[in-house]
Amino acid sequence: MPMLDIKNLTLEMESGDASIKALDKVNLSVSSGEIRALVGESGSGKSLIVSAICGALPSQWNLTADRMSWNGENLLSMSVQQRREVMRREIAVVFQNPQSSLDPSATLGEQLEESIPDEFVEGSWFWQRAQHRKKIAISTVHKVGIKYHKHYLSAYPHQIPADIGQKFMIAMALVSQPKLLIADDPTRGMEPTTKTQILKLFTRLNQTRSLSILFVSHDLLAIASMAHSMTVLYAGQTVEAGKMKHIKKRPLHPYTKALLDSAPSFRKDLPPKSHLPTLGGSIPTLQHLPIGCRLGPRCPRAQRACVQTPAMRKIHDHSYSCHYPLHMEKP
Amino acid sequence: MIQILIRYSTLLFLTLLVLAFMSFSLAYLFPGDPLENLTGLVPQNEMQREALTRQFKLDGPYLIQFFHYVENMLAGNWGYSFTSGLPLREEVGIALPATIELATYAMLMALFIGIPLGYYAGMRCYSTSDHVINSTSITTYSFPVFWFALLLILIFSLQLDSAPLSGRISLLYDIEPITGFIIVDILLSELANKPLALKDAFSHLALPTLAIGAITTASMIRITRRSVIDVKHRPYIAAAVSRGLSSWQIFFRHILRNALLPILPLMAIQITTLITNAMIVETLFSWPGIGNWLIQAIYQRDYPALRVGMMAVSTVVITLTILVDLFNRLIDPSREKYERATV
Repeated sequence: MPMLDIKNLTLEMESGDASIKALDKVNLSVSSGEIRALVGESGSGKSLIVSAICGALPSQWNLTADRMSWNGENLLSMSVQQRREVMRREIAVVFQNPQSSLDPSATLGEQLEESIPDEFVEGSWFWQRAQHRKKIAISTVHKVGIKYHKHYLSAYPHQIPADIGQKFMIAMALVSQPKLLIADDPTRGMEPTTKTQILKLFTRLNQTRSLSILFVSHDLLAIASMAHSMTVLYAGQTVEAGKMKHIKKRPLHPYTKALLDSAPSFRKDLPPKSHLPTLGGSIPTLQHLPIGCRLGPRCPRAQRACVQTPAMRKIHDHSYSCHYPLHMEKP
Repeated sequence: MIQILIRYSTLLFLTLLVLAFMSFSLAYLFPGDPLENLTGLVPQNEMQREALTRQFKLDGPYLIQFFHYVENMLAGNWGYSFTSGLPLREEVGIALPATIELATYAMLMALFIGIPLGYYAGMRCYSTSDHVINSTSITTYSFPVFWFALLLILIFSLQLDSAPLSGRISLLYDIEPITGFIIVDILLSELANKPLALKDAFSHLALPTLAIGAITTASMIRITRRSVIDVKHRPYIAAAVSRGLSSWQIFFRHILRNALLPILPLMAIQITTLITNAMIVETLFSWPGIGNWLIQAIYQRDYPALRVGMMAVSTVVITLTILVDLFNRLIDPSREKYERATV
């Protein structure tokens, strides 16, 4: 049974008199000990899903789902207290933009120390507890690869480079020893060496502590090397989901194929100086979403039936939503 | 740190110098004799006039005159009033503290009522209680201060007869001005019936403070509420929520301080409005403050008094504004980047 199970998650925003479906029947599940990649272009709703899971969406947006459960408990109907408890101990989130996700008026050390759950802190007197908190903070910071803890723990967010900020976000997420780590584009803007470090850290945590990771990114190379399974998102709809190796070898949805083709590292046969294959056009804005399959206007295989939203179909554990999938032509 | 202090003191010094120059030029811009405007003394004959001209170096170039003027101002030699013939320093020394006292109480009222209410409204934004607080504050903010003060006089002094109409304290009590703040002076004085005098002083203070304070409080509520709502929608609050912190932790550790930081510089802007309102309200309540004093000076065409009054009021406003900004600068860690002092 998956730990995090989301079925038909729909997010509606009121804009003037029309309501916009920013997320339309998104399905996503993360099993225990699995690294699940969530892939999609910018603006496809990846970060919205992350916010929806951690309950940080503005209350005027209407969130509905057939199922949104954490270890069998419904996340949508549980009390605020329970939800907070889940977020504090079991799910941890690394947000996209470290500089704005850190409180500008508090030092990094203070923010890291406040994320340590009280149960981890030993000592009966407050100074002992403060000392132990500090010790935990320093060891966590070392774990994510920040060497100069003295300098950075007393620094303010505007004083640090972006990659240190990102590592701090990861440290803050890991300090509560969660079961699921949601990493929203954690390696953005990092140098390749630090990126490798972070990805290795994730893989190691996944193997040694069996930490499940929901890895949100558009860095296909990183995803392909570490993720076990993948969910592809386009304009707020899930287009394809399944095991990484199946999708890589035989993508069923035209969008997934285009996405994989656009990454040169997956194309060994690509001749030098040739054009990278891309889909024409760009992702539609939320105000002008096409009806039916939202890829429709850009899809090379679109036909008349595509104005109806295709239902999710499933072959083993590989699911896709397309009327005319690839590799499935009837003889 | 030292660099910041140096920058701010330079700013203060230069601004005051410009103000002093403007006040000096008033002596020439006002109708009449610059000598009389500058000193407040009316020479009786030519000999006296020449002596005074030499004494104030008015025969020299303007720059020398100006330096001499600044020297005199610093020495406390501010000239004499046309109407009363008293040294202006003494008159301002009595009138200005009265205004500052009134403004201080109004500011305290704004701080202790406005900011908590603003936080409350901001935290409960778009709820019924927020709408009530917000619309009340907008209504109060839109009152013209003189009308509001007149309304208070009409209701509380004339109809209900529960507060005195004018003045600072009943004539029964003779309070020696030591600090210029009536409450402090009563406490310091050797009066036999201090509690009664205090009660009387408070009843005199209540209406003017309410008139000035209500408007400042209203703007404080609106500033605070906006700031809290802004901070609430920042990504770091969402990040804190997603870390599972309790709402009290989020409020005290993240919202409180971050919302307060943008309020302080806006408060510095409020000081100007506050003093202006205080000056208007003083006239209505015959409060013996600088506003009332300046209005009298205008009626009497007391040019030396106007010159000094303008200098005194603007010095107070500028100094307070720069001090608040300096304080804000010192407590805000993210403002290290901005090197120059600005107001």
